[in-house]
Amino acid sequence: MKRIAYLSAVLAALVFSGCSTKEPAIDATANAAGNGSNGGASSGQTSGTNGSAVINAITNASPADSSANGSAGSQIVSVYFDYDKYDIREDMMGTVKGNADLLKNKTFKLEGNCDEFGSDEYNFALGLKRANAVKTALVNEGVAADSISMVSLGEGNPTCTDKTQECWAKNRRVEVKLP
Amino acid sequence: MRYLLILTFFISALWSADATLEVTKNVGMLPKLAIEDASSVGNDSGTRFHKMLSADMNVVSLFDVDDRYATQSFDNPQAAGIHKDAVYILRYRLVPDGSGGYRTDVKLFQNSLELFSKIYYLKQREMLVFLAHSVAYDINAKMGGGPLEWMKRKVLFVRLSGPRRSDIVAADYTLSYQKVVLSGGMYGFVKWANREQTDFYYTSLSDFHPTIYKVNLATGNRSPVISSDGMAVCSDVSEDGNRLLLTLAPNGQPDIYLYDVRTKTKTRLTDYSGIDVSGQFMGEDRIAFVSNRMGSPNIFSKKISESAIKQVVFEGRNNSTCSTYRDWLVYKAREGRGAFNLHLISLNNSSIRRLTSSGDNDYPRFSHDGEAILHIKHEGSRSMVGIIRLGVNKSFSFPLHIGRMQSIDW
Repeated sequence: MKRIAYLSAVLAALVFSGCSTKEPAIDATANAAGNGSNGGASSGQTSGTNGSAVINAITNASPADSSANGSAGSQIVSVYFDYDKYDIREDMMGTVKGNADLLKNKTFKLEGNCDEFGSDEYNFALGLKRANAVKTALVNEGVAADSISMVSLGEGNPTCTDKTQECWAKNRRVEVKLP
Repeated sequence: MRYLLILTFFISALWSADATLEVTKNVGMLPKLAIEDASSVGNDSGTRFHKMLSADMNVVSLFDVDDRYATQSFDNPQAAGIHKDAVYILRYRLVPDGSGGYRTDVKLFQNSLELFSKIYYLKQREMLVFLAHSVAYDINAKMGGGPLEWMKRKVLFVRLSGPRRSDIVAADYTLSYQKVVLSGGMYGFVKWANREQTDFYYTSLSDFHPTIYKVNLATGNRSPVISSDGMAVCSDVSEDGNRLLLTLAPNGQPDIYLYDVRTKTKTRLTDYSGIDVSGQFMGEDRIAFVSNRMGSPNIFSKKISESAIKQVVFEGRNNSTCSTYRDWLVYKAREGRGAFNLHLISLNNSSIRRLTSSGDNDYPRFSHDGEAILHIKHEGSRSMVGIIRLGVNKSFSFPLHIGRMQSIDW
């Protein structure tokens, strides 16, 4: 019995001494800027003052990969074209310029897309010429030519499947894909 | 006045229909044929085979086919009761072979006299429709009909199943048999690599650069042929399978190249700064192709060894795809928003015959004997396989129930 009491006392001593050496679970001082990797509320850990504490979520982002284009991807906009045309419209020049600023020093792919009128090679070539027109415009804006690859997907990657003029116009586009 | 209205309606109906209707008025002049089942198999194979064979005999176009199902003993020269007015009786007997196939006996009677008899061995029951095609082919040959070799060939097509998703499917011309032979990527432009249909080419759009692969159908083994930035398509294969016409775009510029399969070397054939695509062999030393060098897509030709270009078609606008057979060329012309029709032109005298009159008709492909043209017909979000038999001036269509066709070959 004495032996059990002794072991219990030693175990209790070990437990309490262990707790005393750990960092506190909620530490008001951990808020200090630049205090290692644990610092700051944005790290997803804890923050607070003496009287309260906030446990932040690790992330609020959606798990869906809405853009595989990295940080700049969400600001890159598709370039749209007229029916059977592959010259860049006046109203799309600003879009191309804006994209060029985001794409400098990046390697990326231009995907040419068409509406559903024609699954033949000519339609694919139209998609490619659209991609090539965007490539030329981006190079003119200072993007390195050898950082750009191209592919035509023809009618195979529609964003819209309705049978309307608006829908077909949405599919006649060039998209930028970052690796 | 009433008769005038009826006549007006009849004429307008004729104008709006495909060429098929032009010849249906002759059906009454054809001898009546009935098909009878003598099988004792305990499943629906007998009735399924009856439907398949009836459909094929309609395509043969030598008979007025009575498609009512009836059974009769195999050797009985007399027709079943409901077929008493038939001149010809085509009778079959499916016998399970014990290993997943059928031995099939077939006889053709003309006015109770046996005209034809043959035994077929089908190794896989799922290929039942190919058995029907073989029987129809033989009956057509026996009756002296036009060439029908195409009926027994396998059809390959790319099926778009969703954005960036597609399959390559092997089928028969009626789409009764379908087998997915490649899936999981994004594909385009299937083309048989040889007459024997043992291998095929396709473009993978999933790779970093579009890449043409060659696949052996039996083993599924595939090997890359050539890649190009922007676009890589096998447009045509020479009769001996040793030369390919490719569309490649190494600098974003789609042009036509001749590719030697044995030496793996390529020669650039066109160098226009716009669009040159869809090269088609016209004999040994000439090609036809689609180009927008006159502002909109049209059909041109050139000798392989020379640079001079000749315009082939002077009618229509937006003529964006073609197929050739000897001195004949079929091309697609845009005729209004969403309306694309096929036209046949003789390269000897430039006479043009309109093959379809409505809808969205695409991707025409001549059969190897020139007797028929296979094509894709789109209707809304659905696709159909279309067959135009030039010799008998008839057309047929067979719906694809899932997905949309991108390309097709046979």
